[in-house]
Amino acid sequence: MTRGPIISLRDVSKSYGAFELGPIDLDVEPGCVVAVVGPVGSGKSTLLKMLMNLVPPDSGEVSLFGGAFPEDEVAIKQKIGFAPERATGYEDLSPRTLRELVSYFYPGWDQKAYEVPLSGTEIEEDRPFEALSSGTQRLLIVALALAAGSELLVLDEPTAGLDPFARSRVLAGISHFIADERHRNRTVVFATHAMEDVRLIADHIAFLVDGELLGLFETGALQERWTAFWPERAPEGDIPGMVELDSDDPVRIVSDSPGETAEALRARNIGVLRTGALELEEILSHLMRQRAEGRAGSPRARE
Amino acid sequence: MSEKWYPRRGPHVPISLSMEDHRPMYRQIESQLRDFILSGALRPGTKLPTIRALARDASCSVITTQRAYRDLEEEGLILTRQGRGTVVAEITEEKLRARRHEAVKAAFAEAVGTGRRAGLTGDELHAVLDETLQGDQTETGGDRL
Repeated sequence: MTRGPIISLRDVSKSYGAFELGPIDLDVEPGCVVAVVGPVGSGKSTLLKMLMNLVPPDSGEVSLFGGAFPEDEVAIKQKIGFAPERATGYEDLSPRTLRELVSYFYPGWDQKAYEVPLSGTEIEEDRPFEALSSGTQRLLIVALALAAGSELLVLDEPTAGLDPFARSRVLAGISHFIADERHRNRTVVFATHAMEDVRLIADHIAFLVDGELLGLFETGALQERWTAFWPERAPEGDIPGMVELDSDDPVRIVSDSPGETAEALRARNIGVLRTGALELEEILSHLMRQRAEGRAGSPRARE
Repeated sequence: MSEKWYPRRGPHVPISLSMEDHRPMYRQIESQLRDFILSGALRPGTKLPTIRALARDASCSVITTQRAYRDLEEEGLILTRQGRGTVVAEITEEKLRARRHEAVKAAFAEAVGTGRRAGLTGDELHAVLDETLQGDQTETGGDRL
């Protein structure tokens, strides 16, 4: 078994015309679920494709399971279940044929894992793939990746365009994959725009903005650190930890260091009417703004 | 996330994760299990699902359920024995009472805060409590706390 990170990116970069991804440094430890999150065009799909060597980097090193492309390509790919954003080459194949093909190539084929995301959806087994609804196509692509019996699952927007029922079955499929009793060190990397997916199942968030990896954040730590305060009145001057002050009534403070902020408010005799956790989406937008301000060299930028 | 696709084996604890609640998923699992344990709904010695079974049931990650069990174990509410799984810890009546007392105290502290912000004095707060008690039809005889 591989020791250390299962995925390791060192100084990896790729450019397409004006778009530049990287340089990216990223280590993913086995056993965890990582959500790759970021605005449209931030480089999520490119990053995932690099893990499959579908997009070779211009520079830097991509290493998986301790091996590298192209030398260890076959060995690496056997350990990955991959669900691309769009499947190419499937057009004329029926779900039945696809399943037979893929299960033939993967000795660890897991029929139950295939069925989890599809249960509850009527699949027309003999219709060509391209004639199926886009939601069904997505479900099939994800089901095939889940069932490959792999050590690593790489999914590009697995729940995009799904109805809420199919979506929760896909998440259950991911959960069954990671919590399988027989494979105790499985890892999942998935790109998504759905914050609910991130909150439910992602241990870490790889946050990409304009091709730059802002960091690999622990989902729970972000949620516990960022806090909203509703004080009786707006404080004068600077309050430690304060990232945003909305002084329209009701006054609201966003803090990324709630202990310090609470203490400062107490010291100024400002009562707090309410505190609450922030939505993940708001936290990420603050991180994005902090990055923009840091770039602009604004005095509000935090260390 | 309550639909089940696999037949379930072994113990089951009804955990439901909410998207309305902005706390991390492990905090939600912890507080639900804590409520079941402190209320006596899960008796000492009750076998809990494995972290993997619980993750599959709740559709969350293994690291999430691992963290929840670790925190509850540190609180002394559950016990994990190598090869024997996780069970609800033997909690003395005294400790249970203390934990329930803490919960009540925290609720009162919050109520007092609300009262203070509304400008109530201590006497007025007492009056509110008396009024609330009079309106309360529950007879507990005081033996729970």
